[in-house]
Amino acid sequence: MASDLAFYIAAGVAVLSAMLVVTRRNPVYGAICLIVCFVAVAAIFLHLAAPFVAAAQVIVYAGAIIVLFLFVVMLLNLRPEEYGKGIPAGKRFFMALVAAGVLLSIAIPLLTMGDLDLRQVPEGMGSVEGVGKILFADYVLPFELVSLLIIAVVIGVVVLAGKGNRSSESGEGGGQ
Amino acid sequence: MTKYLVLSAILFSIGVYGVLARRNLLIIIMSVELMLNGVNIALAAFSRMFVELDGQVFVLMVMAVAAAEVAVGLAIVVALFRNKETVDTGDLTSLKG
Repeated sequence: MASDLAFYIAAGVAVLSAMLVVTRRNPVYGAICLIVCFVAVAAIFLHLAAPFVAAAQVIVYAGAIIVLFLFVVMLLNLRPEEYGKGIPAGKRFFMALVAAGVLLSIAIPLLTMGDLDLRQVPEGMGSVEGVGKILFADYVLPFELVSLLIIAVVIGVVVLAGKGNRSSESGEGGGQ
Repeated sequence: MTKYLVLSAILFSIGVYGVLARRNLLIIIMSVELMLNGVNIALAAFSRMFVELDGQVFVLMVMAVAAAEVAVGLAIVVALFRNKETVDTGDLTSLKG
């Protein structure tokens, strides 16, 4: 079926770009591959009758988080020798085994369980109106707590990365 | 339905590999984002299975928390780079022994 093919294409792009992210030495290339992964995940959300979540994924992840990443990476202005030495190949192989262990411990019970059937979804599930109704009726408390979290994060970021934090400069720092 | 959960597990385990096997701090933070995306797919899949929107609201909360965490994490990276001139976690040994 056409929707199955679309799912496998989106899933393949997501997995491939994820593997590229974790193997790039240059963090800018990693960020670009991560953008591709996020867009592919947004396509998966469309398959799951979640159009609003898909739009939020593109706007928040690909449009804000990765942009912030790229700002910081450009600000740090790393030269290729500053990317960091890699972990030796033996340890990397062991870590790959650990990751494969995580994958198999989830995938094997899933695949041996037999497929779970999906019911028909009502028209307009996951639309902006539907998500908005439940978000502002049942989940208004988490929504307000998230806004508190964002205020706390803004204060934290200004304290951490703001001007009074340079220990290497003799003149200012702390005495503002 | 299982294909969505298997995809979620694959993305999550690729993120686990990235956190464990890389030393560049920026790549580690990106791998944490990969893990969060894997979890988001699983949440949305279950929301689809039970035809309830609660899972999708949870996904939105996870996205907001991920954005907040990335902001603070990158602020730490910037402050760290100012003081130590490195983003290699192998060089960050001042708490060691």
